[in-house]
Amino acid sequence: MNKVMGNKKYIALFVLPAFLIYLCFLLVPIIYNIVISMYSTNLMSPGTFVGFRNYVNLFTQDSTFVQALGNNVLMVIGSLIAHMPLALLFANILFNKIKGGSFFQTVFFLPCVICGVAIGLMWTFMYNSQFGLVNKLLSLIGLGRFSQDWLANPNTAIFAIIVVVMWQYVGYHMIIQLAAMKNIPRSLYEAAAIDGASKWRQFCSITLPLIKNVLRIDAVLIITGSLKYYDLIAVMTGGGPNHATELLSTYMYYQGFRTLKYGYSAAIGMILLILCVLSLVLSNMVFKSEDVQY
Amino acid sequence: MKTKSIDRIFLVLKYLVLCSFTALCLYPILWLVINSFKTNQELFADPWGLSPNFSVRNYIDAFVEGNIGTYFFNSAFIAVCVLAVGVTLSSMASYAISRMKWKLSKVTLNVFLLGMMVPTYAIVIPLFSTFNFLQILNTHLAVIIAQVAGCFPMAIFILTGFFSIIPKDIEEAAIMDGCGMLRMFFRIIMPISKSSIVTVAVITFLATWNDLLLPQIFLSDQPKMTLPVGLMACQGQYTTNFVGMIAAVLVTIIPTVIIYIFLHKNIMEGMVAGAVKG
Repeated sequence: MNKVMGNKKYIALFVLPAFLIYLCFLLVPIIYNIVISMYSTNLMSPGTFVGFRNYVNLFTQDSTFVQALGNNVLMVIGSLIAHMPLALLFANILFNKIKGGSFFQTVFFLPCVICGVAIGLMWTFMYNSQFGLVNKLLSLIGLGRFSQDWLANPNTAIFAIIVVVMWQYVGYHMIIQLAAMKNIPRSLYEAAAIDGASKWRQFCSITLPLIKNVLRIDAVLIITGSLKYYDLIAVMTGGGPNHATELLSTYMYYQGFRTLKYGYSAAIGMILLILCVLSLVLSNMVFKSEDVQY
Repeated sequence: MKTKSIDRIFLVLKYLVLCSFTALCLYPILWLVINSFKTNQELFADPWGLSPNFSVRNYIDAFVEGNIGTYFFNSAFIAVCVLAVGVTLSSMASYAISRMKWKLSKVTLNVFLLGMMVPTYAIVIPLFSTFNFLQILNTHLAVIIAQVAGCFPMAIFILTGFFSIIPKDIEEAAIMDGCGMLRMFFRIIMPISKSSIVTVAVITFLATWNDLLLPQIFLSDQPKMTLPVGLMACQGQYTTNFVGMIAAVLVTIIPTVIIYIFLHKNIMEGMVAGAVKG
């Protein structure tokens, strides 16, 4: 048994193909990206070494980058609002057995498996100023004076997109939180009910503390997820009007593949990576506490 | 008596919340379906109701003028290749990591899992430059390689979790019967792990099918584009043919919805696995 399961030839045969592809096309590129980000290059001709100049320029001379960073922060805040309290509300409703529960779960989860470009186009139609349902609905309830071309107005465009993000991923986070709730032993609730604890009290004193760990992971997912949105913006506004809806991801694409400043673009990619890792480390520090068990 | 009526009110409120969000999820898709059978004039005149003249004109336009058929084929080809290669290699690696006996298995697993944190944006420029050097830019191979490498962390995370709970007796019995490693893996281990392999396969397929960034960067010839990139190209080209675009969007969504109807359990399980177990 041990002889077969410890056979080096088979281990190599099984692991190496995946590992080599992973190494060459995911790990090494990260290091290569660090190198590129220190050059000023268009990849075709040899570039010039500029050290950390790209990074310094991003923060000191590039107002669009700062704007993109701000939009990313807005996106994180919007996502946190929709994907924590709202998703928790849905999850809690579905957790207390209710008829048709699995149907609602399936429907709520649907938007997050559909292609982002299709979702973006769909909402572009919804926001359309001539036939879009958003304006039609507004005038229907007597708020017609607010109707406008949502995606063309630099003041509303980013919020219009954030609403779509909120809508698309509520179901995803709801399912995560619901799965965590289902791991809580039912007997705790029964005991609490006998002691006369209200539903709200049960939620605060049993559900919340016991799913805290999953909520922490979920918060990291929400933050890193909001840093990675790309296709919605790319299709709905392309970062416009006049860079008003630019995120780090779309701005990276713009710098790299529209203006061909690869070194500069690689630096933005590095910042995205650093932010993702940072959010994980920070959340581990903030939420650091022993697991609650009853 | 009093608590009962309060419970009633709460129940009604709950259903109100659930039903209104259900409408918010499903109505936009229904709206697309209704309007995909209209003409542009009808859409502008009345975006709500059904059209009296039912016509599939827009779908024909999407395929003939918009090349949606070509994009559809490219997307399917890339997604199937990624799925086949990705699932085979990741299940082999997961099996070796979780069942075979070697010193570096834990380290290897952690190296793979590290990839879950890496956003694609941090590697696209180097990949672009590498593929340019290998002269495979603007081929489907470039997209396939990048997607396969990207699918490993999640796939290996899910599969190692499953393989580690397979009872030892199965392997022992197979080896006693003189079954070789390869045969044991493909004939015994793979079949009994069918449900997790389906989970990994379907989330890999969806991730590849839906992805915009990689094909957008690596594929520049229109006949080679995938559906998401093609849709963006159409959007730029046919800015006024809204109903044609609606039909094209539906063609993109339909395969996903069909897969979702049959495999939604696996899809949910796969997509939330990282969060709940991690």
